[in-house]
Amino acid sequence: MIEFRQVEKHYGSFHVLKEINLQIEQGEVVVVVGPSGSGKSTLLRCINRLEAISSGELTVNNSKVNDKKTDINKLRRDIGMVFQHFNLYPHKKVIDNITLAPIKVLGMTRQEAEKTAMYFLEKVGIAEKAGQYPSQLSGGQQQRVAIARGLAMKPKVMLFDEPTSALDPEMVGEVLDVMKALAREGMTMVVVTHEMGFAREVADRVVFMDQGQIIEEASPGEFFSNPREERAKLFLNRVLNH
Amino acid sequence: MDFAGALSPDNLRFILEGFYVTLKVAFISIVLSFVLGCLVGTIRYAKIPILAPVLGVIVEILRNLPLLLIIFFTRFALPDIGIKLDVVTSAIVALTLFEGAIISEIVRSGLNSVNKGQIEASRSSGLGYTQTLWHIVMPQGLRRMVPPLVSQFIALLKDTSLAVVISLPELMNHSKIVIAQSYDFVIPVLMVVALLYFSVNYALSLIARRLEAKFV
Repeated sequence: MIEFRQVEKHYGSFHVLKEINLQIEQGEVVVVVGPSGSGKSTLLRCINRLEAISSGELTVNNSKVNDKKTDINKLRRDIGMVFQHFNLYPHKKVIDNITLAPIKVLGMTRQEAEKTAMYFLEKVGIAEKAGQYPSQLSGGQQQRVAIARGLAMKPKVMLFDEPTSALDPEMVGEVLDVMKALAREGMTMVVVTHEMGFAREVADRVVFMDQGQIIEEASPGEFFSNPREERAKLFLNRVLNH
Repeated sequence: MDFAGALSPDNLRFILEGFYVTLKVAFISIVLSFVLGCLVGTIRYAKIPILAPVLGVIVEILRNLPLLLIIFFTRFALPDIGIKLDVVTSAIVALTLFEGAIISEIVRSGLNSVNKGQIEASRSSGLGYTQTLWHIVMPQGLRRMVPPLVSQFIALLKDTSLAVVISLPELMNHSKIVIAQSYDFVIPVLMVVALLYFSVNYALSLIARRLEAKFV
């Protein structure tokens, strides 16, 4: 469903992604971990072309992401994204945050879109907040709205860019719970996170990155109990024993 | 000081006639410069090829010239190249160009102040560039522009007095004529003029404060 082939990315003289080869199948939950600055967010953001790749080939649903002929807006309909800082629209109510894209992009009627929005708001457990503005919600609630906003487009894959990193510790759980439920339902997910518990419990595969490279790819059981690479061992030591 | 003489019904009516011209010229220029400023500011924000850099140069030129020079230009230089404008129109054109350039910068920086994450969220949900500009960037940017925009409108209203140099029959011009009748009229007339400018501008500030409270 998502395939990186020999993908490279440079920011000026900075080599952010090196020789990335990665394949993600439908229904898979892939968790990307690694030290900060390792390129994991960049990798994720290449998938929906928030970042352009420098060379190599990247396909999503058999469309080349960086091909000029690819209608990027159409491709993005099928790729939901959740950001570290939620990025809810502060001038719109929760419900309107969710219905905007279904109405403007998918051409749903307002009524349909609101029905869909309420369905997903209920799913993330905050239907009662539909009429409020994002600023009236806690961080955890805002992130759940952001997830509902992504889901309302009925995407084929959801990207999560450190979805719990900006949250107070007591709110991390509620967001992870929503993500776990989503994973159980078979949603294809690519998750960049520092939540090793989540990776261990939910991931089908863990991808470890360092300095722009994929160093190790393994099942969570294998990766956490028996990492092959020295850098992965070092990283796990640091994040698990603090 | 001769309040009664200075503010005789005839003089008062004459001053108010001038005030009416001030308000008319200011109002028309505010509307036009706002439309122009929004247009130019958005084009430059969106970095539309050719158009954006050309407008950028024009804005830079206008912003760095004294308004007085631009007023002279539209009144006395344009006729030389065949564009004849009456005194009211040339004042409006000069004010619109000058204030439009400044407002375009307010608009541009307002749009630029919208968090990039907002744009990413919108674009990643499949909305196009124009849709994102319209539904996400503009509504948020405009709210932040309200205070500087209102200050600029107030400045514009005061700047209409510069058109006294091309004998626009506005408030300053008419008050000058009244004052010329007697030394004793100076203080009373200037007090009335000050009061008139102040009350309109202060009302504008109050409206701005209301809008701000509503939006922010």
